[in-house]
Order: sequence, then structure tokens, then C-alpha cells
Amino acid sequence: MKHNEYKQLLQLSLFGELKSEEKDILKEHLLTCDECKRELEDQKNLLELISGKNNSTLDDKILSAARYQLRGALRSEKNNADIFGSVFESFTQLFTTPLKFAVTSVAILLIGILIGSQLLSKSSSNQISDQSNSDNRFASLNEDISISNLRFIDSDASDGEVEFTFEASRPVHLKGKVNDPQIQNVLTYSMLNEQNPGSRLNSINAMDSKQTENYDKDVKSALVTVVMTDKNPGVRREALELMSKFPYDESIKHALLYVITNDSVSGLRIEALNSIIAASSKGYKLDIEELNLFRNKIQQDENPYIKLRSRTILQEYN
Amino acid sequence: MQLTDTDLIVQAQKGDQSAFEELVYRYDRNVLSIALKYAVHEDDAKDLYQEVFIRVYRGLKNFRFQSEFSTWLFRITTNVCLTYKSKSKEHLRVSIVNEFNNEENEFTETEEIVYEGASPEEISSGSDLGELVNTAVESLSPKQKMTFILKHYEGYKIREIAEIMNCKEGTVKKYLFDAIKNLRKKLSPVYA
Repeated sequence: MKHNEYKQLLQLSLFGELKSEEKDILKEHLLTCDECKRELEDQKNLLELISGKNNSTLDDKILSAARYQLRGALRSEKNNADIFGSVFESFTQLFTTPLKFAVTSVAILLIGILIGSQLLSKSSSNQISDQSNSDNRFASLNEDISISNLRFIDSDASDGEVEFTFEASRPVHLKGKVNDPQIQNVLTYSMLNEQNPGSRLNSINAMDSKQTENYDKDVKSALVTVVMTDKNPGVRREALELMSKFPYDESIKHALLYVITNDSVSGLRIEALNSIIAASSKGYKLDIEELNLFRNKIQQDENPYIKLRSRTILQEYN
Repeated sequence: MQLTDTDLIVQAQKGDQSAFEELVYRYDRNVLSIALKYAVHEDDAKDLYQEVFIRVYRGLKNFRFQSEFSTWLFRITTNVCLTYKSKSKEHLRVSIVNEFNNEENEFTETEEIVYEGASPEEISSGSDLGELVNTAVESLSPKQKMTFILKHYEGYKIREIAEIMNCKEGTVKKYLFDAIKNLRKKLSPVYA
């Protein structure tokens, strides 16, 4: 065997890749070769140096953050796929046969008439004081319509009603029950898009926290977004408080974990922590992701209350 | 009873999002660990992690069980790492493999452009040993670095690395030996 081949065996031995007969061959060679002995020591030192300085264990906080980002990316991936899929499917089905084309055309016409009649009909529950009937199109808010300058005349939802004005294509004055989908659409839009933090705050406050079971799922999704992304801590706090009134589920859990991991305001982290604890006391079983987060918090959070609370939860859980 | 990877893949292929998530959680720690070793910077590593699982999500419907799911996943991971352009530093680009259409795809052998990194003199003048080691590992060519990470940090067998990188065991050994040679050259001033 050539000397270079021994050197290769030597390197493979350091990676635990030698067969037993190769080990014996190398062992025998090392008894007589000082150069290879030095080489072995040298490479051992090298690998020890590299292992010692660059073999940190994976931080759960980084993993949680990466998972969180991935969920967001997968959601948009899925939405894109759904939209393109359904458009493509409709498009291909439309032109499959002349009969289908005729049936589809009639169906589209009927849907158009139905939507038109809905848009032109008056709302029974809401009073739009100074506008024509066509303003009822705010019932179906979409990306083409933007709302600004939301001003509350009555933001107290304790009597079940709120009243406000806002600017769209023209000024609008709206009064109605807070669990009405039209009202919720405007408030949801506002809490996500209003420039003024006070308006965003009022939009959240106007939602009646006792009626969350009647709210559309878009309201919850908007709150989850606000909790994680709004720049104003006061707005985030209100959103967090209202979101915690919804039944605990995966999206709420992810939002709470995000706040505990990333929010710079310790009060909000504590509130999010308390929400998880409240869910746990109502029978929700904490999963490994949550327990790992608490373990992490004991070590790393700068706030002593969070450290203490996390420790208590883990002790109770064990 | 815990579902097997195959069960989860079949369910995920039918559109079950939670099955896909379960599949991700089985392996994502390893993927992120590799990405962190490869990219060094945390944000880059998270981008790599996300890119890997987005590709898996897109490609899963075409997965035909010609290889183990884990092998396919780590093949995607190595491809994403090797073709990743760091936000913080110019990396070289090597072969891009279409891992979705053919699970048996092999790495295209292309000429590697090596980021030279710091010279031994620069290394020996540095003070933070951890930084020096990082710089030395960074200076390896992408394939040398990936092979070294999979072998030394992640503990894969050469046979497994060859399967993941879809190349011969001899090629893996060559990358590994070259990696050691370069690391010795870079780090000898501080450990010898």
C-alpha cells in the first residue's frame, strides 16, 4: 500500500468510516510510521478545534421563528395555488363543450343579476344617512375599494350598535349592529389599513368581545395579523385582548407564540403567556412547541416575571 | 399509532395541510441545522430553510417513492444550499438540479469557483478563534463545505452523503479530503 493510501485511511478513521480489517492495517502502519502518527494527531487537533468552536446546538427560538415564517409562506403558496387552480379549472371547463359554454354563460348571467339585485337593495339593519343605495356596495368590500378617515360617532358596542363615518369614493355614514357583516367588513379593513393608530384602536374596541362566536373568521385572521405586525403597541395590545376571546386554535396559538418570542414589549409577552395559560386551564394540552418555548424563556427572557411564570407552568405540567 | 412518512406523504398529496406540517416537523430541525452551518448568518439560514420546504411543498405531488423521503428532502436541502446566493456575501453558483421531476437526478459536475476567504496570515492575525474557524469553513468550496457539514457536524455516513448528493462515494471522499486539506492550510497557524 502506498503512503498516500495510508493517509486516506487515516482521515477516514477520524470520521469512523473504516472497516475492521482497514483499522488493523492502519494500526500496524502507525506502529512504524512517525509521519502518519503526527498526521493523525494534527488532524485530531484540527477536528477538535472545529467541533469546539462551531458545533452549537440548534436554538429552539430560531426553529420556532423559522417555522412561523414557513407557515406564512406556505399559506400564500396555498392561496396562490388555489386561485390559479380554480381559475384554470373554470377556464378549461368553460371551453370543453359548447353545451357547457352555454350553461356557464347562463349561470354567470344569473349570478350577475343576483349580485346586482343585492347591491341595489336597501339594508334592513343599517342606516346609511346621506348616500344613495349604491353605497351598500361596502357590504362586499374588496381590494378595489379603499377606506380612510374612519371616525366614530358611537364606538361603544355595549348596546350592540356602533356608528361611524368614513371616506371611500364619497363620504359614508354608517350605523348598525356590530355583528352585522357589513359593519365587521369596514372595521376589519380599518384595523388593518388605517394610517391613524387611534382609528385602528377604535376599530378593534368597537368589536364586541362578548360576541366573538358570531364573528366572521376574517375578523380573527385580521386580529392575528394586527397582533403580529402592527407597529403600535397599544393597537397590538387591544388586538391581543380581543383575539384571546376567540376559541383557542392553531392560528391563535401561532400568534401568541410569535408575540412571546418576538415582541419587544414585555407587557405584551406576559399577556400572550397568560392567554396560553388560560387556554391550558380550560383543558387545552400544551404541545412540545409551547413547552420548548417556556423552557427557552426560563433561560433567556430578560423579564423575571416571564421566567418565573414559565418555570411554574413547566413544573405544573411535569 | 404514529403515521409513517409514506402515510403522511399520501395524505399531503391529497391536500391535507396538517399531514404536510407533521412531515415538516419530523425533519425540519435537521434541515435548519444544516442551513445554519452552511449559511452561518441566521437570516440566510431561515431563508434556506423556507426555500427547502416550499420546494418540497411544490414537488411533493410528483414524489413517486423512488427514494426515501428523507433522502429526497436532504437532496433538496443540499441543492438549495449550493445554489443559494447569500444576502451578505457573494457565493458561487453551481449546478441547479430539478429535484421534482426526477428523484434520481445527479449533481451536474461543474467547475467550482472557490471563495478564497481569509489568507493564513489574515487568520493568524485574528483574535476570535470561533470567527477564525467560521472563516476557514466559509472559505471551502460549496461542495466541500456541504460534504464536511454533513459528515462532521451532522454525522452522516459517506454512503448516505453520496446518496443525498447523488454522486459516487469516491467523489464524496474527495470533497472531504480536499476540505480537510484546505482547513488545515487555513487553520494551521492557530492549532498546530
